[in-house]
Amino acid sequence: METTVTIVLIPGLLCDASIWTSQVAALSQRAPVVVADLSTQDSITAMARDTLALAQGPLAVVGHSMGARVALEMVRLAPERIERLALLDTGAHPRRDGEEATRQVLVDLARREGMAALADRWLPPMVHEARTGDAALMEPLREMVKRATADQHDRQIRALLGRPNAREHLSAIACPTLVAVGRQDRWSPLAQHEEIAAAIPGARLVIIEDSGHMSPVEQPDQVTAALLAWLDMESPMTADRIPDTPLFDRERQRRGYRINKMAMGLSKPENREAFKADEEAYLDRFSLTADEKKAVMSRDWREMVRLGGNLFFILKISAVDPVRITEIGAHQAGMAHDAFLRDRLGKK
Amino acid sequence: MAKLIGGLGTSHVPSIAAALDKGLRDTPDWKPFFDGYIPGQDWVKEAKPDVAVVIFNDHGNSFFLDRVPTFAVGCAEEYKPVDEGWGPRPIPPFQGAVDFSWHLVDTLVENRFDPMICQEIDVDHGIQVPMELFWGRPAAWPVKVVPIFVNVIQYPIPLPSRCWELGQVLRKAIESYDSDERFVVVGTGGLSHQLQGARAGFVNPEADRAFLRDIAADPGKLASLSRERYVELFGSEGAELMMWLVMRGCMDEAVKVLHTHYFVPASMTGAGMIVLENEAGATGRAAA
Ligand SMILES: [Fe+2]
Repeated sequence: METTVTIVLIPGLLCDASIWTSQVAALSQRAPVVVADLSTQDSITAMARDTLALAQGPLAVVGHSMGARVALEMVRLAPERIERLALLDTGAHPRRDGEEATRQVLVDLARREGMAALADRWLPPMVHEARTGDAALMEPLREMVKRATADQHDRQIRALLGRPNAREHLSAIACPTLVAVGRQDRWSPLAQHEEIAAAIPGARLVIIEDSGHMSPVEQPDQVTAALLAWLDMESPMTADRIPDTPLFDRERQRRGYRINKMAMGLSKPENREAFKADEEAYLDRFSLTADEKKAVMSRDWREMVRLGGNLFFILKISAVDPVRITEIGAHQAGMAHDAFLRDRLGKK
Repeated sequence: MAKLIGGLGTSHVPSIAAALDKGLRDTPDWKPFFDGYIPGQDWVKEAKPDVAVVIFNDHGNSFFLDRVPTFAVGCAEEYKPVDEGWGPRPIPPFQGAVDFSWHLVDTLVENRFDPMICQEIDVDHGIQVPMELFWGRPAAWPVKVVPIFVNVIQYPIPLPSRCWELGQVLRKAIESYDSDERFVVVGTGGLSHQLQGARAGFVNPEADRAFLRDIAADPGKLASLSRERYVELFGSEGAELMMWLVMRGCMDEAVKVLHTHYFVPASMTGAGMIVLENEAGATGRAAA
């Protein structure tokens, strides 16, 4: 991990730094840690902008619940700064039908009867069913909700109701991503996280056992362990992230199997003779498609690579029908050979 | 116990072999490249290793995509140069060091590396070219070889840090090998080059020169880079440079750089060489 990275922990609705106590202690051994404050803004975008401004340079962002929605918005606003992303107990979908009315009930309750009443109503479904009577867990959460105000709750609900649809951006996320959820999360269930993890290239899904929605406080050790492992997680290598550089990944290997097998055959002298004698008949032995045959027979190197051909294999064609490797390079680069030698390879 | 007398690094560009086969060694295009290897050849003549452990990748010659080992170790009596499509090359077969190969496989597995074991396998330019660059064109090779194959072509390729760890286990194997033989470890591949895609022809002399410095002075930095960073810095095929980390992981933390050489372009590649010895001298020579 880069030494300059800052870990940003983002709490959810009505939550504050207290839910991250355990994680702050462990993660600050690895990098500077800051906790976001979402108590003053009334839109997810404003929350994301303020959180981006908490530190300079690359960020490793951990969001819980609404905090994870803010994290997703940060990736949308500043993908170049987000080095890694962890989404805990959350959702990526836009506002659902009827959601406004359900939430309004709680807004009114907080206004009418105060934050203690809101805590009594709102907190129990947030934790594992078996622990609603666990004072060691519930009391600090109650105190935290009472520290918040009805105005803050109002603003945060407005932010949630006006949230952007983060779903359509998931496939563009290109940093190492952790998606974690309490197995007994009743508010944002496991299936929802499976969907999110499937949509983000290379994302890792971790299930926090014996935990409801409040996983950072319900199972702090499991969450911390998942985050420590996530700090060492490699970038996904499935998509082509380096421009004009087709890596020989899963898709290409499968796509190009026939064409590469055909070319591999040219290691044998008798196959080289067969290729020379009747190229099309030789290609047919490997069941090449019409497109693949056309690319090979017209020595269209760029197209062969597009079809999954790998240079180490298809180069063997040039052993039968000589062409310099620099000419193959120039063809793919779309350059004249002498310009390619000069501009790419620095030949005088 | 066996002695580790040094670590070598070199490119293994196939055009180098083709240039030798065609008698182009002393042409203006190639002479400066080959001349730069003379100090490396002199070191080999002087140091007289008995066994060369050579880390390289197969390039679709001995393995097809039907079965691709991430790491494989040659355990054969002999390794024949493979016909890559251009016909057989005029170089002698390589003699194996079977007993050490099996000792290496044992040590690897005991240390949680589980390689493919190859008792009959031909070898391509990945090992041929380094051997020719350091040992020339003898009628018979004066050194036995132990090939270690690393998959750096089909994704997922291993992590650079894993190559480094492999080197550390290789070191254990050499140090625990009951023999008087003198070992040299040869990391091969690179430096920057890219053969595929519209970025073909990418070379990065600045990154290559930094690599030649860091591989000696700050290898931990190179071992901690991601695969993607290797591709970014050195090109899609240049990422194979991570195989030098196996050699470097085998050496002491403090090494002496005896020789380096850099030349660009050799065909489409930034080509380089390094000769390293442990600062503390050959391992296993504590009594001296
Ligand atoms: Fe290679």
